[in-house]
Amino acid sequence: MASDQIISKLRTLREYALSKGARVHLEWTTEDSRLVRFANSAVSLNTTERLTILDVSVYGDDRHASTQLIVDENDLATMKMAIDKAIEMLDFVAPLTYQPTLPVIEKTTISEEVYDPEIEALSSEEIIAFVNEATNGLETDDIVLSGNFSSGVAMYASISTETPEVIFSRKTDIGVTLVLSSIRRKWEVIAEQFVGFKCDLDAKALRDRFTWLVDLYMTKPEERLPEGPYCVVLGPAAIAEYLGFLGWIGYSAATMKRGFSMFKEDDIGKKVMSEQFTLIEDPTVLATLPTPVDAFGRERAKSAIFDRGVLKGFIWQQQAADEFGGTPTGHDVPHLSLVLQGGDVDTALIQDFAKLPRDRDILYVPYLHYANIVNPTEGLITGVSRFGALYLKRDGTITLPYNVRFTERLDELFGDKLVWMSRELVPYGSSSHYFGRDQYAALVPALACFDDVSVEISNESF
Amino acid sequence: MTVDWKSQIKGLTERGAEYADVRYYPKQEEDLKFMWNGNFLAFNRSEESGFGVRVLVDGAWGFAASSNMSSPAETFDRAFANAKAAATRVKRPIRLADKEVLSGRFESPCAIDPFEVPMAEQVALMRDLDSYINQKGIMQRRVMLSTVRKTIQYYDSEGAEIEKHIVEIFPTIHVASFDDVGMMQGRKYRAPRLADSRGWETMDREHWKNEAERIVSEVRQLVESPKCPEGIMSVILLPEIMYLQVHETIGHALELDRILGYELSYAGGSFVRLDDFGSLQYGSPKLNARADATLINSPGSFGFDDDGVAAQNRMIIKDGILVGAITSRQMVAEANERTGRKIFDGSGGTCRACAFYRFPIERMTNINVDPGHDGTLEDIISNTQRGVILAGDKSWSIGSNREQFHFSTDIGWYVEDGECKGVIKDCAYSGKTLEFYRSLTAVGDESTWEVQYVDNCGKGAPGQTMQLGHGVPVCRFDNVKVGE
Repeated sequence: MASDQIISKLRTLREYALSKGARVHLEWTTEDSRLVRFANSAVSLNTTERLTILDVSVYGDDRHASTQLIVDENDLATMKMAIDKAIEMLDFVAPLTYQPTLPVIEKTTISEEVYDPEIEALSSEEIIAFVNEATNGLETDDIVLSGNFSSGVAMYASISTETPEVIFSRKTDIGVTLVLSSIRRKWEVIAEQFVGFKCDLDAKALRDRFTWLVDLYMTKPEERLPEGPYCVVLGPAAIAEYLGFLGWIGYSAATMKRGFSMFKEDDIGKKVMSEQFTLIEDPTVLATLPTPVDAFGRERAKSAIFDRGVLKGFIWQQQAADEFGGTPTGHDVPHLSLVLQGGDVDTALIQDFAKLPRDRDILYVPYLHYANIVNPTEGLITGVSRFGALYLKRDGTITLPYNVRFTERLDELFGDKLVWMSRELVPYGSSSHYFGRDQYAALVPALACFDDVSVEISNESF
Repeated sequence: MTVDWKSQIKGLTERGAEYADVRYYPKQEEDLKFMWNGNFLAFNRSEESGFGVRVLVDGAWGFAASSNMSSPAETFDRAFANAKAAATRVKRPIRLADKEVLSGRFESPCAIDPFEVPMAEQVALMRDLDSYINQKGIMQRRVMLSTVRKTIQYYDSEGAEIEKHIVEIFPTIHVASFDDVGMMQGRKYRAPRLADSRGWETMDREHWKNEAERIVSEVRQLVESPKCPEGIMSVILLPEIMYLQVHETIGHALELDRILGYELSYAGGSFVRLDDFGSLQYGSPKLNARADATLINSPGSFGFDDDGVAAQNRMIIKDGILVGAITSRQMVAEANERTGRKIFDGSGGTCRACAFYRFPIERMTNINVDPGHDGTLEDIISNTQRGVILAGDKSWSIGSNREQFHFSTDIGWYVEDGECKGVIKDCAYSGKTLEFYRSLTAVGDESTWEVQYVDNCGKGAPGQTMQLGHGVPVCRFDNVKVGE
């Protein structure tokens, strides 16, 4: 369905809501997703989903109720019933202790900055050919390919009864996660890319990484690391994972006000992280697949969350601002556009870093598996290394460590333990989620080094 | 609009498909009501309608789904084209294990359909629950009620015709407060299996009032309690955490698709190998576990899976030895073919998708541990020299092959010389899966056995969340690493 048709239908639904005397916010999402999944060197699943989702939020005096539909895009009758249902529900919901804010969209905004028709037209055959190129010659009877190539387009439009203006965006994205693993020895190595434009895909870069890692994993000795403190270099997946937790239990005003944050309001202006730690929310960076206008029609601008270790402020979404009396910061978006500023180290690829002379042993961890919060108010996170850790010894040799578990506090990790970061930034994101297409990426340093990271469990095999 | 699903499927087989099925959801409804400190942050009704088509062509799967009902043939064509494209990269053509072709209907046990309960009554009850936990010393309180009602029609090219009508209800209350060093301490109560049916009858006010008083009392104790001791000791897991231990380190570890490498790029693999079935000492001889989709009244009991296979009750660990897995038709056929022996006798009936727009995969049913012969909780405590009793999942993190884990819990009680010495906070334990289950030294009797429900088990790509259950007794494990 074309953008003008979506907007036209939304306006029809708005008229319907107005005829009912309701104050309503309507959000329309059309998702066309493709996922080619690989396992055991075959395509294990080739799937496409075309879904139309309508979210209806109805506002009353100190009340709010909502309905959501996954429905035929032409079924306006059912959509109107969803509006009726939400209006009916409003009569029953208990009053809030605050007045919820209905979006007032002052200006129509159409954004297609991260839309690539080539991604929308991408075929299964092209996807398989790309993956074949990225893994060419590396698969054997023992070394097999797994992974996901997720691509798609999502159109989002919203309108409220307050004005006829609309917010519309169309975005494309591709997330590539490929894994080569040994059936016999059970090691796994990973290569990933997250892009908004097809031209940014780089099969050669994936293949170069794989070639280097597979060669190491075929030739170097494996070892179980003793438990204890290590100097650790993290790859972008692991860095982004920690940043994700920081967003959850760090600088969210709602979390802070509810008592589940590692920071308190009086931490604003204090140096709570390393001097090297500057985290910016920058919706002008296309690599983050940004949303230029938030759900309330507020134009978004670059702002620092942490500046050289100093907490500059919390992210206030509208609901939290309504409930706790804060000022919304324009972040009512599905995802922030996070940029963790790089450091002063020119090395960006682990292949290059491994060649450099070093004065101590370094554990490289590209990815954290199943990380979780042990204690939110302490900022304590646990997780296990995965997908091709390396132990780079000071004598220049490299061994293959079995996976290890860290349990670290975020303010310590990105505080005194942070040694250096790469200058070069890379996007790390997600394409699909439990409930639908999930288009975002954070820009993070390609490598970051941390000291005194404690290995508390060390596996005894791959 | 009425679609002739069977003729659409026939069209696919006439074009050369080896197999095809369709799952049509006329309507899936979900209500989510969520109160935080008395405010309804969510008061939401969602409805989904659509269909998903799975087709096997030249040994490869294609899948397509759509919420658009006006041109269903287009979606069937897409599924077929997807399979044809997938077939260009096939190593081992997909085969499906034989099954009995069934026609039938399943209805989950529900005395009072929550969707028929007036909204005013639901809101009144939630406000009552909130009032039960709105007590002195409680700084954060949450009440959540999630209800689901769905009808699924299933047709396949082998002739199966199945309809399922499922109603779920997942209520939770949660309270929290700060301790003397500013750390949040919380307790929650999620209704386990309370009777032979689960509908609005689950929401008995007296029951919830009692549970609310208990968790409020426990939080008051937690904020004044000492920290959990660190070191190697016994852990006595109550069902409120034992279910998650089983979920993560028996359930996921024994999903056959994980064992065969189908989840390697995301959820992970398993330390279990095909050669292990029948011989691996998974735990001590006290460990008996089963995948039981026939248990009356659990989200892990669903009549028929999305392969059209009937629900089953199969042992997976017997007297500590690994004997079975969580299996679907595809994976059973592949495992038997890879090893050249019949490890698995037909599908275990565990293939499920969470929605019409997701592909069915191996999902846990009710992964249960049988009650043992070591008496009541009090009996187990009295036979414990030094350890901690743990309850309430707070955080969990598991190795990618499920070979190791780290759990933290809401609450603990310290045990010394056979006596419970009081509440402790900030409890965590970690270990290696086989070592841990081999150190199982006590399994509580029937009086300790409880079915805990899981409403959000995540797996797969595109991601899926699933509902299931775990019937588990109180269990004691020795020589476990305790502490953050």
